[in-house]
Amino acid sequence: MPACPKTHGILFRAVLFALVGLFSLGGAIAQASDPEPNCAIQEGACTQSAGNRTVTLNILPKPVRAMQELTFRVEVGGEPPSAPPVIDLDMPAMEMGPNQVRLRPVNATVFEGTGVIVRCPSGKRLWSATVILSETTKAKFLFRVRY
Amino acid sequence: MSAIESIYLVFLGTGFTVGFGHCIGMCGPIVFTLSLQLKHRPSFFPHLFYNLGRTATYAILGAAAGWMGSFTRLASGLGGMQKWIMAFAGLVIALLGLGMTGWLPLGRIFSNAPSLSGLLGSAIRRLQRSKSALFFLPVGMALGLIPCGPVYTALLAAARRGMEAESALLGAASGSAIMAAFGLGTIPALLILSRVTSASWLRHREWIYRLGGLAMLATGIYFMVKGIRY
Repeated sequence: MPACPKTHGILFRAVLFALVGLFSLGGAIAQASDPEPNCAIQEGACTQSAGNRTVTLNILPKPVRAMQELTFRVEVGGEPPSAPPVIDLDMPAMEMGPNQVRLRPVNATVFEGTGVIVRCPSGKRLWSATVILSETTKAKFLFRVRY
Repeated sequence: MSAIESIYLVFLGTGFTVGFGHCIGMCGPIVFTLSLQLKHRPSFFPHLFYNLGRTATYAILGAAAGWMGSFTRLASGLGGMQKWIMAFAGLVIALLGLGMTGWLPLGRIFSNAPSLSGLLGSAIRRLQRSKSALFFLPVGMALGLIPCGPVYTALLAAARRGMEAESALLGAASGSAIMAAFGLGTIPALLILSRVTSASWLRHREWIYRLGGLAMLATGIYFMVKGIRY
């Protein structure tokens, strides 16, 4: 039996509606369930474990504000990494695009680099900085920035 | 493929994924507004030109960031302007929403709105006379200045590219290309959304039209508050 173009049109729009609805709903649910911070970066440096190492992150100057140039300082405890770590900056449950801070070695275990945390017009302030030592060794810091 | 070329693909892909999440939330109300105002007109080209206008603004901002080689310098210059553009966009969306609910005698911009006097009336009559989809290019260009986190992230990359470039001109070209790739990547999501919101049964049902007006009013107020507090 030949397909009815009108039925196809309705089906097509229904599928589009469902897709857009799912994306929007997914985004809203993800945003509503923001995790709690695990780092009080406004107070000082934070330490997390990554494999058999410890990673200490500090961001300067204080208070840590969005839209200004910041210095990211990482200290690795335990075996020194073979290459300088990289920091991935992102918002939990919000795609913000690739924002990486490249670190340079200050000595064998301390690394520094500059970067910017951008401001989200939604008003959300929770950011994550994932210090990547290797593909499998990472430390994730969740903290609030000021606007 | 060199690293320089791959960064454009990265931001094209970033724009594509960001488009389906962030942009639908942020620009969705604008797309919805355009669709409802284009009741009797084909909507594909107006939406396309709105998106191309937005992308053109991103490319210009990318060129500026690449030329300066500094994101923070550009952002400090833009900050004040962007908050008022967001607040103004909110005001326009709220006014159109009020018109759609019938609480304000604006009518549909592109159909039979009652004649109004003053500056607003003149602007609306000009919109009514506009038959060209090209009108939506400057609309998109202006609305492309609305503050947006992922746009800032792409601008950071444009500024970094400018810092590493051999000359300010090369930095501007590279920054502009990154932002253009990002903007083009966001277009499919918003065009799909425009297709959904342009559904004729949606635009021609009076109660949906009025409900849309209320949604626009709420969105407009949200944009205004966010803009003023930004």
